[in-house]
Amino acid sequence: MKKSFFAATAAVVLGVGVAQSAFAQVKPEILVKQRQAKMILQGKYLGPLFAVAQGKAPYNAAAVQRDAGFLDNLTRMAWDGFDPSTRNEKSRALPAIYDNNAKFKEYANRLENEVSRLVTLSKGGDEAAVKAQISAIGKTCGGCHDDFRQK
Amino acid sequence: MCALAFPVLAQGDAKRGAYLAKAAGCAGCHTEVKKNAVLYAGGRELKTPFGTFHGPNITPHAEAGIGRWSEADFLRALRTGVRPDGAHYFPAFPYPSFTQIADADARDLWAYMRSLPPDSRASRPHDLSFPFSLRFLVGFWKWLYFSTGPFVADAGRTPALNRGAYLVGALGHCGECHTARTALGGPKRDRLLAGAAKGPEGKSVANLTPAKLKKWDDHELREFLLGGITPDGDVAAETMGEVIRNTTSQLTPEDLTAVIAYLRSLPAIADEPR
Repeated sequence: MKKSFFAATAAVVLGVGVAQSAFAQVKPEILVKQRQAKMILQGKYLGPLFAVAQGKAPYNAAAVQRDAGFLDNLTRMAWDGFDPSTRNEKSRALPAIYDNNAKFKEYANRLENEVSRLVTLSKGGDEAAVKAQISAIGKTCGGCHDDFRQK
Repeated sequence: MCALAFPVLAQGDAKRGAYLAKAAGCAGCHTEVKKNAVLYAGGRELKTPFGTFHGPNITPHAEAGIGRWSEADFLRALRTGVRPDGAHYFPAFPYPSFTQIADADARDLWAYMRSLPPDSRASRPHDLSFPFSLRFLVGFWKWLYFSTGPFVADAGRTPALNRGAYLVGALGHCGECHTARTALGGPKRDRLLAGAAKGPEGKSVANLTPAKLKKWDDHELREFLLGGITPDGDVAAETMGEVIRNTTSQLTPEDLTAVIAYLRSLPAIADEPR
């Protein structure tokens, strides 16, 4: 267990290190496509969760846990898609992302944290808490879009 | 004196007024942005190019709120944008839209506002840049941009379209955000509901005319105005999210249908060039 654990950790650390230098050379239009793909997939799994939160779909604990798990990965992906090199690419991203990057990063962290919280809550039995957390995530999405995405 | 001897029955219907207050979104500007804030006790900040406005307390508290007002004061505020002491209101209070509210509806709103528990939360004065802080200059703004008077139904439109026009233009005051403004903060009349690159709070605002709305079918639009979510799991930007929670999701099905029909009937206006 120990050996493979360290081997895996080393692989991840090295992989991240290598990947990051590789990302720096990815063309901006590809970075934009990647971040848009992440957002589309987030929507894919948020849709059923919102339906549960709004009482339009029955509460299925297994489905909620699975979707929350997918989201937990997705929210952490492709933030490099907002690299400064992407500033002039055509998309709904507003210049504020680059000009006010500290605030943008705050929203990014908030989203990751709120989704983590959902993962935890989805493993418990408190349906009301899960629904409230899904709504909280919705507000986080909306908050970021409000300031940083073209309407 | 007579008022004490003969209790005056509220002329308005507070229950209807409660619905109208939702349709008009009063709580949005007149409530603090925090958990368990007291509704209508004031507090919301509106940060505009002219400075920051602080929504006042409109509960019926005698000192902190509008407890000393008469019904006539309330109707005058909505219809003409004037305080009981005669001073102008800044048009952050959207009386250019509210002026269109029918007398009967205004009375119902008043009856509802009177029925609320008084709250002692003190209103903050606005924090405006000179010369926009000079209230008397609003008189000039009004001359340029404001004409008072209730909504007049268009005989050439169906009742549903007129209802939609009233909900959007008078109560919902959607144009206050969704119509682009001049440098002096007046509405660009040739860009009705066509959105803005920079709305009152500096954020971009969506184009509600068929130029953009044609991309949504009725079911999608309805679901969005009820729940703030799109079919692909996208979410309303939070400023609108609040409007959806407070107002559009609270409309009767017929009223929501009327709103959608009215938006679809607008002349298509392309986005402003950026």
